[in-house]
Amino acid sequence: MQVVLFLSVFLIAACGLIYELIAGTLASYLLGDSVLQFSTVIGSYLFAMGIGSALSRYLRRGLVRRFVSIELMVAVVGGFSTALLFVGFAYGEAFRLQLYAVVIAIGILVGLEIPLLMRILEGRFEFRDLVAHVLTFDYLGALGASLLFPIVLVPKLGLVRSAMAFGIVNAAVALWSTFLFRAEVPRAGTLRAGCAMVLALLGAGMVYAGKITAAAENNIYADEVIFARDTRYQRIVLTKWKDDIRLFLSSHLQFSSRDEYRYHEALVHPGLAALPGARRVLVLGGGDGLAVREILKYPGVEEVTLVDLDPEMTHLSSTHPFLRKLNGGSLTERRVHVINADAFPWLEKETGYFDFAVVDFPDPTNHSLGKLYTTAFYRLLAHHLTARGLAAVQSTSPLFARQTYWCIVETMKQAGFEAHPYHAYVPAFGEWGFVLGALSPYRPPAQVPNGLRFLTPITLAQMFDFPSDMGPVPAEPNRLNDQVLVRYYDQEWSAITH
Amino acid sequence: MERDHALSGRETNGLARVPRRGFLSAALVGLLRKTDRIVSGSFVNESDELGHRLRSRGPFRTPAQRERVPVVVVGAGMAGLSAAWRLEKRGFRDFVLLEMEKQAGGVSRWGENEITAFPWGAHYVPVPGPHSLLIRELLADLGVLMDGKWDERHLCFSPQERLFLHGRWQEGIEPELAATARDREQYRRFEERMREFRASGAFTIPMERAGRSPDAALDHVPMGEWLRREGFDSPYLNWYVNYACRDDYGAAAAATSAWAGVHYFASREPDDKGPLTWPEGNGWIARRLASRFKPHIRTGSVVFRIVRESARVRVFTEDVEFVADCVIFAAPTFLAPYVMEDAPPVGGFEYSPWLTANLVVDRPPQDQNSEVAWDNVIYDSPALGYVVATHQSLGTVEGPTVWTFYWALAEGPAPRNRRLLLTTDWAYWKEAILNDLSRAHADIRQRVARIDIMRMGHAMVRPQVGFLSSAERLRAAAANGPVLFAHSDLSGFSIIEEAQYRGVTAADRALARLGGRR
Repeated sequence: MQVVLFLSVFLIAACGLIYELIAGTLASYLLGDSVLQFSTVIGSYLFAMGIGSALSRYLRRGLVRRFVSIELMVAVVGGFSTALLFVGFAYGEAFRLQLYAVVIAIGILVGLEIPLLMRILEGRFEFRDLVAHVLTFDYLGALGASLLFPIVLVPKLGLVRSAMAFGIVNAAVALWSTFLFRAEVPRAGTLRAGCAMVLALLGAGMVYAGKITAAAENNIYADEVIFARDTRYQRIVLTKWKDDIRLFLSSHLQFSSRDEYRYHEALVHPGLAALPGARRVLVLGGGDGLAVREILKYPGVEEVTLVDLDPEMTHLSSTHPFLRKLNGGSLTERRVHVINADAFPWLEKETGYFDFAVVDFPDPTNHSLGKLYTTAFYRLLAHHLTARGLAAVQSTSPLFARQTYWCIVETMKQAGFEAHPYHAYVPAFGEWGFVLGALSPYRPPAQVPNGLRFLTPITLAQMFDFPSDMGPVPAEPNRLNDQVLVRYYDQEWSAITH
Repeated sequence: MERDHALSGRETNGLARVPRRGFLSAALVGLLRKTDRIVSGSFVNESDELGHRLRSRGPFRTPAQRERVPVVVVGAGMAGLSAAWRLEKRGFRDFVLLEMEKQAGGVSRWGENEITAFPWGAHYVPVPGPHSLLIRELLADLGVLMDGKWDERHLCFSPQERLFLHGRWQEGIEPELAATARDREQYRRFEERMREFRASGAFTIPMERAGRSPDAALDHVPMGEWLRREGFDSPYLNWYVNYACRDDYGAAAAATSAWAGVHYFASREPDDKGPLTWPEGNGWIARRLASRFKPHIRTGSVVFRIVRESARVRVFTEDVEFVADCVIFAAPTFLAPYVMEDAPPVGGFEYSPWLTANLVVDRPPQDQNSEVAWDNVIYDSPALGYVVATHQSLGTVEGPTVWTFYWALAEGPAPRNRRLLLTTDWAYWKEAILNDLSRAHADIRQRVARIDIMRMGHAMVRPQVGFLSSAERLRAAAANGPVLFAHSDLSGFSIIEEAQYRGVTAADRALARLGGRR
């Protein structure tokens, strides 16, 4: 009996500390500044425990029954605290308020536990033994919890499941108290039913923890998420807000349906409209099918080869109703061949020639992607163009990443291209840059296809003019063995976003 | 196509920053699963048994056949292959290359699995300076150097090197994280001293190009002692120099000749950012040379006796006795006394025991905020770190790969380390390697499927204090006769340029002898 009694003290003490640690950790993860978060969480938690202890004197009768219900309350509030806070962070506004409300609520309840338990056990032990035993096991529980938390719980269970697991422990202690003290609780049926319910609830919570966090994560995107999938290569998310559809790849915005026509018209027509005889076109990247949509406006084009890494992306663009509506079903058009491959090795093996190439890769955020912006890559690209061929390259923002942009221009020059830099304004991204690489003299086209929403021959010609705040700056070429581009990019974008 | 950032202006709130998210949900849901995997593997390319037979002089079969070949090259490592390269370039094709292993290449051997080719030893060539004409000629032959420009694809891709220091990765191997003003000042002064040495013209590649033998005074000071004398006491600088000695010579700075230590830093004048490297390391070069000389190469041919007889030299393998005019002995020089009676004394030649391991890493470890470099080094590790065989891939997707892990048993006397290397089992080294790597990659045991280990008792010659200026080395290097020595150990340190130089020099001497006779 004795050991079992004090084991409950040990367990509830461990639970109490775990909730406190979880709240502190979660606050640090979400808000940063871990010293501040841990100090204030621990402070308010201990203060709330004091309130609980003070309140305990007002509980006079039916102590066991009260104790069991308090345990159940701790189980529910503590067990679901992380899930609640995480969801609250994603959806709500006043996260700090919620955080401290939850911390104080758990603190008060936990503060009630030990005084109540001591009073329940009052008659069974000498007072000095009682105090000694209870406090010993209380502190032992705290030690156990503080070791268990970083070593086992966070890495193996995660915060959401850890909290629920300890909620289950609280509920189990409640249930078993109804047996331990059955003399004091004659009609324990309802109490036990309550315990069973809480246990079932937490058990279900454990099973669905993954879904809870995923649901909350969706709300990180401002708009309604209409599609989300983790592929081998990236996380694809489509959002919709009124008539605005946005595509995010691994959290990076790819387009907004409201202004993507500006981007894609600028990407395709300055080059392709200048090549009246173009028959074979290559698109590298651009799995959304929007560049292909523009290319298909030229009846002379007989064959479009699109090479995109991710089969799930091109599949989505070919089948999802919203995307099909946007790209006009371009990827399933007869003239279009979709190939899913890594572009550089693919181009290395490919033997065909193209009149026009669109290079629409993710920005050079790391050295792997940076390879797609090197002299070696552009040389290989040049080898696949016909004598009068052109290549249009998306080249990040000349305004926000000026040296990055001019580095791409310099790299293409080093690779043997005559480089024609130009830019356009795309509201979702800001001022955006492109480079047209030519193997023979290039002049902007005097005509563009009918039905464009953005470009006219005059605006097209004006895109090649750079205002002084985006004009050329010296930059080294980007080479496989010296990727200066990744360094420029990192410096310039982090200067803006930090 | 990443075009969002601050410009879209529609992030939920400033706190919802993306990188933290992934980390957060992993911690919340507990996606990490930790069960130790079973790692397979074994010792591979074992040749110590053969070596011991050579040294105990048998037993060997008497050959049943006899062949007359004007030039016999013993050893198809980089020196032997270079000798063949030179002979062929000068229009001479009457030679055989005898290799005791099943594969040519020597220290530049390579392996291949379903993921990639990988090195078993030497894995790079520093970009040769404008004066290293021989190695430039070879690399031009192989298409690496075209019209005076290095082909970008053979230069090591960015990021080249990183160092795990104080719990995180930094770019480059020279320790920088938390370096003090004193450390920086000593780096600067050290560099200045090396510039002076470079300007002196005494430290060249190949070493003989300097036209003088190594300065005996400097050669008789240990590198560690030289640092002390010069007032270099920065722990970072000392670690760095010691690492360089372990990496290039397999010996600690305290046991390395200061001349060799200085040579490492003062001999190079690269004309591009390098080094040159390939998935199979210098095996890329070895395999091209080996395929070019395939008709000449006899692998699995152990030369157990070389006998000089008037104008001829008889070279015995278990299958064939070769009768030659000239023998180019491109095997390690310390083996000479075991196979020939009139070998020069080689007691001063010491070699460093090494271990290389190839690890099949089927899932890349989770490195936060650091991209895997080509060469990855852990500060204060007894080993040398690892290189990534797929680093030169043009692809953008990180997939399964092979890491080549290098470990020179540099601390303490070589014979003791050799015994340790040969008396311990595979599991011992597997654990040692995983423990070492786990300092930088907590999840390494979940990421490795296989570890194959190659042990080399005499991996590379050691430029011990006084060795480079020793009469013994100078005599062996100058030896001219029907048996010509050609191994890189004649230079006192084992780099590809020296192996090539020694091989080429021996080939030229052989042709001079033959020409004189005809």
